[in-house]
Amino acid sequence: MGTITALGLLLLICMVVVGGTQGLQAWISLIFNFAALFFAMVLMAFHLSPVLVTLVTGVIVLAMTIFLGGNDSNSTMVAFYASVAVLILLVILIIPIEHWAQIQGFGQEDSEDLEGMSTILGISYLNVAVSTAILSTLGAIAEAAIAIAAGLAEILEQHPKITLKNLQGAGFKVGSQIIGTTFNTLFFGFFGGFLALFIWFAGVHYSLGEILNDKILVGEVLMVLFSMMSVIATIPLTTWAMVASERQARKKFVK
Amino acid sequence: MIDEADKQHSFWRRWWPYFVVILGGLLVLGVAHDDGLYQTPILSIQSVKKMSSQKQSDQFNNEDQQVEQQLRGVITNGQHKGRQLTIDNTYLKSQATTLGYHTGQKVFLTVHHNHGNLSATISNLKRDTALAFTAWLTVSLLLVLMRFSGLMALTSVIVNGVLFWLAVNWNTNTQGGIVLVIFGGLAIVFAALTLLIVIGFNRQMLMTLLATIGGTALSIIVALVVFALTHERGVYYESMQYVTQLPRPLFLAETILGSLGAVMDESTDIIASLMALKAEKPDISAKQIFKSGRQIGGEIMGPLVNVLFFIFVAETLPLALLFLKNANSWGYTFNMTMSLGVVQSLISGIGIVLTIPLACGITSLMIGGHQSWGRLRH
Repeated sequence: MGTITALGLLLLICMVVVGGTQGLQAWISLIFNFAALFFAMVLMAFHLSPVLVTLVTGVIVLAMTIFLGGNDSNSTMVAFYASVAVLILLVILIIPIEHWAQIQGFGQEDSEDLEGMSTILGISYLNVAVSTAILSTLGAIAEAAIAIAAGLAEILEQHPKITLKNLQGAGFKVGSQIIGTTFNTLFFGFFGGFLALFIWFAGVHYSLGEILNDKILVGEVLMVLFSMMSVIATIPLTTWAMVASERQARKKFVK
Repeated sequence: MIDEADKQHSFWRRWWPYFVVILGGLLVLGVAHDDGLYQTPILSIQSVKKMSSQKQSDQFNNEDQQVEQQLRGVITNGQHKGRQLTIDNTYLKSQATTLGYHTGQKVFLTVHHNHGNLSATISNLKRDTALAFTAWLTVSLLLVLMRFSGLMALTSVIVNGVLFWLAVNWNTNTQGGIVLVIFGGLAIVFAALTLLIVIGFNRQMLMTLLATIGGTALSIIVALVVFALTHERGVYYESMQYVTQLPRPLFLAETILGSLGAVMDESTDIIASLMALKAEKPDISAKQIFKSGRQIGGEIMGPLVNVLFFIFVAETLPLALLFLKNANSWGYTFNMTMSLGVVQSLISGIGIVLTIPLACGITSLMIGGHQSWGRLRH
C-alpha cells in the first residue's frame, strides 16, 4: 500500500471513530475537494479560462464543505450565502492586486524545477496566479462562515427573543473569539509550507530589499494576506446575513 | 480635571484604529517613494512601445506569442539618477518566466558600462509598494472591524513572524543539521506565546497548550509509523521545492509547523467552549464534558482539515499546470507536484482529529469535579 492511501484510510478511521457520521462527511468533503481541485486544474490545462473555472469550482467547494460540515440547515444556508459573497468580494480585490504585483509564474529560485521544461504554455499565468490565490483561501472562508453561523444559531436557540441589534453584537463577539487563532492557523499553514524558501533566503543572504521584491515571497505573503482579509470579511458578512434571515423569519412569524 | 482626562481617554478608545490606518497609509506612500533606499538602480518606466509579436510553438504543440517591447524611462536613484534609458524586453504572453512591463511601473536594473555608454537589463520588478499596500489594507480592515481582538491577533502574528525568522537564521548557522530540533522546539515556544497573547496566563491556557503540543506530536508519531510501515512509497522528497538541505527532516519540520496552527485553533475552541459550559452548569460530570467536547470537535474538524488542504495543495497549481503542458501524465504530474502537499494535509488531518479526544480528556480530568470516572458509569 502506498503511503498516501495508508494515511488517507487512517484519517477515515480516526474521523469515523471520533465523529461518527459527521466524521465520515468530513472525510468525503476532503476527498471531494481534492477531486474538484484536480478537475479544475485539468480544465485549465485544456485552456478554459482559469478565473471562470476557479469561480465555479469555488462555489461548489464552498457548498460541499459547508453543507457536509454543518448540522442546522438554516445556519448552514446563511453560512453558504455569506461565503459566496466573500468569494466575490475577494475576486474583485485579488484581480487588480495581482495585476499590480505581477507575481505570476516562476521566479529565479524555481530554475531547477524548470530545467528541460518548455515554458511556451499558451495559458495566461497571471490568471493562474489569481486562481491559485482564490483557491488557497476557500477553506478559510468556509471555516470562518461555519463558525460564525453556528455560534449565532446557538445563541438564537438559547435566547430566541434576543434583539437583532444584540444578535449583531454577538456575531462580532464570536468573531473576536475566533480571529486570533484563525490568523495563526493561516500563518503557520502558509509559512510552514514555505519553510524551505525562507531557509534558502537566509542561506544565500538575500538583502531585505531583495526579499521584499522577490516574486515568490511577495506572491506567498499576498496569499496569506488575502486569506486573512477573507476571514475578516466573513465575520460581518455572516453576521449580517444571519440578522437578515432572522428578521425575515420574525416577520413571517408575526403575519 | 478628571472629567477632561476621561473624555480624552474615551476619545482615544474610540478612534485609535483610524489613527493607525492613517499612519499606515502614510507609510505605504513612503514605500512608493523609497527608491533612494535601494543600492540597485531603479528605472521608472515612462513609455512602452511594442516592437514585434511572433507566434512560438514547442514540441508539445503549445502555442504562445513572443512579444518584443521597448521601454523608455528614467533612473530614479543612485549615481545615474535622472539619466534617460532605453531597454529592450522580450517576453512570452503566458508570462510564466518572463514579464511584460507597462508604463508607470518601476524595475530594478543591472547596469553595464561599455565605452562610456550606459546600457542595462531588467533584473526584477519593484513589488514592495503592492506588498505594503495589501498589508496596510489587511491591518486596516482588521483594526477597524475587530478593534482590540484584532490588535491581539496582529500582535501574535508579528511575534511569531519574528521568531520564525530568528529560527530560520539559527538553522542556517547550524547548516540545517538540527532542523527538526529547532523547529520542533520552536513549535512549543510558538504555541506557548500565541496562547499567552490570545488567552492570557491561566489554567485554560495551560490545558490548551498541553493539548496543542500533544496533538501535534501525536500526528508526527503516527506519520512516522505509517512511513515506516509503507516504506514511504509514493512520497517523493525529490519533488520538494527550494531545498538546500536534507529534505526529509525539512519536510517533517514543515509539517509540524503547518499543522500546529490548526491544532492550536481547535484545542482553543474546544477547551474554551467546555470551560464556558462548566461555568454555566457547575455540576456537570467529567463524562458529560468529554461527550460535549467530542461533539464540538466533530463539528469543527472537517472545515479545519479543509483549510489546511487548500493552503497546502492550491499553491502547487502553477507547477502542476507546467507539468501537464509538458505532456506529462496526470499521475506523474500529481506525484511530482501535489503528492507532498496531500501527505502534509493528511498528516495534519490526523493530528486535528486526534487532538479532539486529547483536548476533551485533559479538560474533563482537570475540571470534571472530584468524582472519579469509575463512579460515574451507570
